[in-house]
Amino acid sequence: MAPRRIDAQDLPPATPLARRLAHRAAAAQTVTIEHDGEPIEARLGEPVALSLAAAGRLSLARSPKYHRPRGASCMRGGCDGCLVRVGDTPGVMACRVGAASGMKVTSQNAFPTAGVDVFGVTDWFFPKHMDHHRLMVGFGDAINRTMQAFARRMAGLGTLPESPGEIVAHDEVSVDVLVVGAGSAGCAAADTLAARGLSVLLVDEEPAAGGSRLDRVDDAGPFPSPASTVRAMREASAVATYANGTLVLCSGAITLVNARARLFATGTHDLVGSFARNDLPGIFTARAFSKALCHGVLLGERVAIVGSSAWAVALHEALREAKVRVEWAPEAELVEALGARAVHGAVVREGGRARSIKCDALVTAAEPVAAYELAGQAGAGLAWDDARRCFAPRSDDDGATAAAGVYVAGSVRGRFASHADREADGVRVALRIARDLGGAP
Amino acid sequence: MTAKVLLCRCEDVTLDEVEEAIAKGHRDLESVKRYTGFGTGWCQGKQCVNLCARVLYERTGEAPTLPFTPRPPFHPVPLGALASLAEDSEDDDA
Repeated sequence: MAPRRIDAQDLPPATPLARRLAHRAAAAQTVTIEHDGEPIEARLGEPVALSLAAAGRLSLARSPKYHRPRGASCMRGGCDGCLVRVGDTPGVMACRVGAASGMKVTSQNAFPTAGVDVFGVTDWFFPKHMDHHRLMVGFGDAINRTMQAFARRMAGLGTLPESPGEIVAHDEVSVDVLVVGAGSAGCAAADTLAARGLSVLLVDEEPAAGGSRLDRVDDAGPFPSPASTVRAMREASAVATYANGTLVLCSGAITLVNARARLFATGTHDLVGSFARNDLPGIFTARAFSKALCHGVLLGERVAIVGSSAWAVALHEALREAKVRVEWAPEAELVEALGARAVHGAVVREGGRARSIKCDALVTAAEPVAAYELAGQAGAGLAWDDARRCFAPRSDDDGATAAAGVYVAGSVRGRFASHADREADGVRVALRIARDLGGAP
Repeated sequence: MTAKVLLCRCEDVTLDEVEEAIAKGHRDLESVKRYTGFGTGWCQGKQCVNLCARVLYERTGEAPTLPFTPRPPFHPVPLGALASLAEDSEDDDA
């Protein structure tokens, strides 16, 4: 069994997912892309990692040291699983690039392809780990140097482009407030700030506003839509932030944003977790699996969900409605994934007993962790959040941090039960920012 | 493929390696990072920092204090996109 496309006809009509898929199918345009020389049918603009998955191609890359097979696990630019060469550009995250007609996707860091990589034997030579500090040290300089050259050839992330890249001119923008993240908190904050007469730039990586709601199978919207007075940059990543400017990457060009205040509503990351063979292709976070479903791609025919996050609850329900074989172990702990090149089962521990589950997609559903990176760069203090077992920015009740002009809102700073709660948090932090900037009350 | 537990996928750092680092006396994230190289790969720690922090917490009993400093860029950026910024930058301590 393999992943496949799914559409509204496969689902009970009134469900949120069926409504999403019907809407998507109406707008879908089929294009042909190429993967390792073979034609693949794709939908224009969908994440290429999903086009490849829908064609049964989950093993997209090889890991740098052991050449273990890797596949997309998070579908949101937070792992190394889908790194491919697109055209002449190495190191492209296939989950973050839209399918376009004639696009040429090739495996990198593998010979001959990621599916069949002869260097995969490295993994067996070093069953526990490879101590590269001491590897071939003490055998003489010549052997060490040969080994280093060999290692350099084996490791890495593809080869350089054929020709040097162009220098792309940057743009500069000055605003009162930069809001990073157009989820529930970010949109509510941006609207609140703009309504108080402040100039606002709202930056988000997705083509549409909505944040995590866009990936939820039980949510058909309406999704937040920022007011016309908010300037929005979509498919844009805030990649670095300093006191004198934030760099936003959009369509290959940088916009340098100068802002009096910066609000990071960056949400969360999803962790696959620690268990044996946790890097096998076919293991996904619950959000990745849900996101794929919202794009009409079912990543497995026999699904095991382990964990009890809100994502698991919604996903389990949607899969049952779609009559997909699904087993949900909310209280279990993952011990091991089974499979050589793709997952075909898992061993879980439940109530002190171990048991195995058969599956062709293993979905891990632990509580998401704070995406603290940008807030941390900006100087917000970070601290261990014991409840979420992750680091998170420190903030006061109103989202202000230790750094002047730096704020956080929404799930980056804590657990919120619903999107309405995250919106309320966005409004609360926005009012504080407006007050601090001396805007109209 | 072998039954490794990958704590840092991008740099192929295993649980076994982190445990060895802890056994050798590395008891904080910064120090374990320097020993194993975890967190220095493609994703710059989005997955591994918290996973390693949890392992350290479990093995040492000491609550994690700070992650290693989150460095830009959040996602890799083509150098061509950054090059034009240098032209009008007077100081390099930004």
